Amino acid sequence: MLAEVGYLSLIIAFGISLYAIVAAFIGERNHTESMVRSARNAVLVAFGMVTVSTGALLYALMVEDYTISYVWSVTSPSMPEFYRATALWGSQEGSLLFWSFLMAAFAAAAVVLNWKSHRRLMPGVIVYTMAVLAFFLGVSIWVENPFVRWWLDSGAPEGQQVLQAVFQPAGTVQPTATRLAETANGLNPLLRHFGMAIHPPMLYLGFVGFLIPFAFAMAALASGDLSTNWIKASRRWTLTSWLFLSLGLMLGGRWAYDVLGWGGYWAWDPVENAALLPWLVGTAFLHSVMIQEKRGMLKAWNMALVLGTFSAVIFGTFATRSGLVESVHSFARSGIGVPMFLFWFGVTFISTAMALWRYNQGMLKDEHEFKSLFSRETLFVVNNVVFLAIFFAVFWWSFGAPIVSELFFNKVVTYGEAHFNQYLWPLLLALYVLMGIAPLSAWGYTSVKRFGKAILIPVILSVVSLGVFFMMGMTDVLSLVGYWIVLLAGWVAIYETYRGFMARQKIHNENPLQTVAALLQRNPRRYGGYLIHLGVTIIGIGIIGSTVYQAETQQTLETGESLEIGGYTLTYHRLDTGLVSSDGRIIDRATLTLSRNGREIDVISPRRDFFPESEMNTMTIADAHSSLENDFYVLLVGWEEISTQRATFKVYINPLINLVWWGGIVLIVGTLAASWPHAILPVRVRETMRKGREQ
Amino acid sequence: MTDTTWEKPKVEGKQLPKSNRIQFILAGLILLGAVAYLIFSGTITGGQYFLTVDEVVNNPEYEGRSVRLSGAVLGDSIVFDAETLSLDFSIVHIPSEFDNLAETLHDAVNNPDATQINVHLDNEVIPDLLQHEAQAILTGTLGEDGVFYATELLLKCPSRYEEAVPGQSIVEGQ
Repeated sequence: MLAEVGYLSLIIAFGISLYAIVAAFIGERNHTESMVRSARNAVLVAFGMVTVSTGALLYALMVEDYTISYVWSVTSPSMPEFYRATALWGSQEGSLLFWSFLMAAFAAAAVVLNWKSHRRLMPGVIVYTMAVLAFFLGVSIWVENPFVRWWLDSGAPEGQQVLQAVFQPAGTVQPTATRLAETANGLNPLLRHFGMAIHPPMLYLGFVGFLIPFAFAMAALASGDLSTNWIKASRRWTLTSWLFLSLGLMLGGRWAYDVLGWGGYWAWDPVENAALLPWLVGTAFLHSVMIQEKRGMLKAWNMALVLGTFSAVIFGTFATRSGLVESVHSFARSGIGVPMFLFWFGVTFISTAMALWRYNQGMLKDEHEFKSLFSRETLFVVNNVVFLAIFFAVFWWSFGAPIVSELFFNKVVTYGEAHFNQYLWPLLLALYVLMGIAPLSAWGYTSVKRFGKAILIPVILSVVSLGVFFMMGMTDVLSLVGYWIVLLAGWVAIYETYRGFMARQKIHNENPLQTVAALLQRNPRRYGGYLIHLGVTIIGIGIIGSTVYQAETQQTLETGESLEIGGYTLTYHRLDTGLVSSDGRIIDRATLTLSRNGREIDVISPRRDFFPESEMNTMTIADAHSSLENDFYVLLVGWEEISTQRATFKVYINPLINLVWWGGIVLIVGTLAASWPHAILPVRVRETMRKGREQ
Repeated sequence: MTDTTWEKPKVEGKQLPKSNRIQFILAGLILLGAVAYLIFSGTITGGQYFLTVDEVVNNPEYEGRSVRLSGAVLGDSIVFDAETLSLDFSIVHIPSEFDNLAETLHDAVNNPDATQINVHLDNEVIPDLLQHEAQAILTGTLGEDGVFYATELLLKCPSRYEEAVPGQSIVEGQ
């Protein structure tokens, strides 16, 4: 029943999204308002149908309907409810359906929220969002169907008795419920982690959200309304998507840090890089779009960036879902590879062609010229060049060079983590330099004298605060240079915010909180942006600390014995084997105490979990004593089988690692501040502001 | 607010002088040149060949060079000394192109004629995924003794989560 409901609503949603495209197109062409309105309603119905379909699969997961092969392959009777629900995106078919659901939700929200304010762009927005949605629904219907069920054909030769189909094939019976429950796979143990449960939806929201700015840009190109309308309409969508994408990337890093052990959070793996690529172009766009709003410049460039961001989203989806990244030839391994590639090519080709067409008509001409090398707009362009340089480097080393070498030289060349770290740091540091100087530069032309005056205090503050790191024993010269540049960017953000704060305090008689609210209200992107810069500074400090100053050791300890590292003493007390947890895993756990200067500060319990129901059956789970200063990270490596007296541990000290996560939180708060400006104002004031803007 | 004074364009309306345009072009060329150099030099020096066991064993020119190597793990060969964190195992050849990873790995470990190579890693905690029929992707160098000294080890276990013909276990009586 659930399979039929889910599958049929998918097909209906597909048909309706096609209808919406046609209706919006005809309505716009013939200026038939009722047709355009009908297209809008179709968008909402399509969203409703995808919701029903996704709901059916979710319900099937919750009620353990193992007749559906997707449910059978990602859950098992012993799984807790939380992971049962998150198994919706645990594997390809479900996650594609979930992806379509989010996409339909974004499209519906964009149409509803922007209907009045951007009516002229709406037909185009409907056409492009629904075209993309229809593609993904088509993939779910014909290639990666989440609703196929198991059927047994006892008359068939051995090895071919099990069939997969949505509807019952002739001559088959449904397998018994008990047999299905016994054999159900369960979710890959590596994915049973809170971060992994919420990392994919965040990443998908970020990916899918960029559909809306893309659709607005395409609608602008199609309609010829290339004023700042499309940028105004898509501004908040872009920030929201960027927020989710950033959150998704950080949660992925956190998951790797916790689950994959070894204290790493970013390995420059092609799959990770595929998710980073749209973030890089999107971040470049968020910066350069301000130049267009303030100065009417870089119109063609912004158009290229917003189209490029979505192209990167589709490329990333294609690269990670098709298996492209291991080898070009694994292309064919998943049925999704060829359609995804063609779709990516189509999206890129059509959008490029549209942009070139309007460009040749002179509709993307800038209103001002660049006047000085040292101006805010020039520095923003440099910022864009650096972001795109990182984009091309990451793309080329992850995908370009390996594919080219295999196709033309018949040899696969790959680039590892060390390579990325070695070659990308100059570009990353350049971004921090720009973050320090660009906010202090003026539009048009910056006088050196003024700039010197503005940067003096942040420079002093950064040198003083550098002393703190020196005192902590971080004396490597290169890392100190890195710290200094990163700190300067942070102090510029803090000092500029402080200046704005003081200037307003002088004029208005209000309490400090009111001033902060008013600053964010009046200039959300400036102060939200500074907060984001501060977050990125904190992340930078964490990255330098944890990569340059990581310390490690390993030792075999008898019970009662201790090891010393970095001023800490770690004492091994006992090992408990064979503990059974509620979800059926068997746990072997060591108990150690950590002390510093003779005082016990924490109990640490690294463990090894054994999953009897799964083939991929053991998981080493580290435990850490976590503080702002560092993570004291302990892994249980092994013990003697006969007695549990001796056990071996591997210990890492990751200095300042937690700043990476805390900086991430500051970045998220900053993005929220930049994108949610009106929430704190009364409706009356908002109305006046809206009227003011529309005049 | 103080920043409003900052944002007043100072030279609005003036024509862009020619010398300025040359400045922009020069600065742009230097920037793009630096970026291009970085990416180009990185591409030339940083790449590692991704090889099969056959290629490494039969081509002595790879000896001493940092390469990546992929093969199927032989479960019986895994020796791990927890006290010294030294890890040894053998992998057998798998082709660089295949349709089904699980099947390829299964065939490789059961083929007595497949080329084998011994792998050694130091200072490595034994990975949870290191087991019979896993795909090992190693980064390291081939030593003169014919042992592959790896510094990095990635593993893939397609067995259960990517079955060749899924669902066979459902048939009763297996």
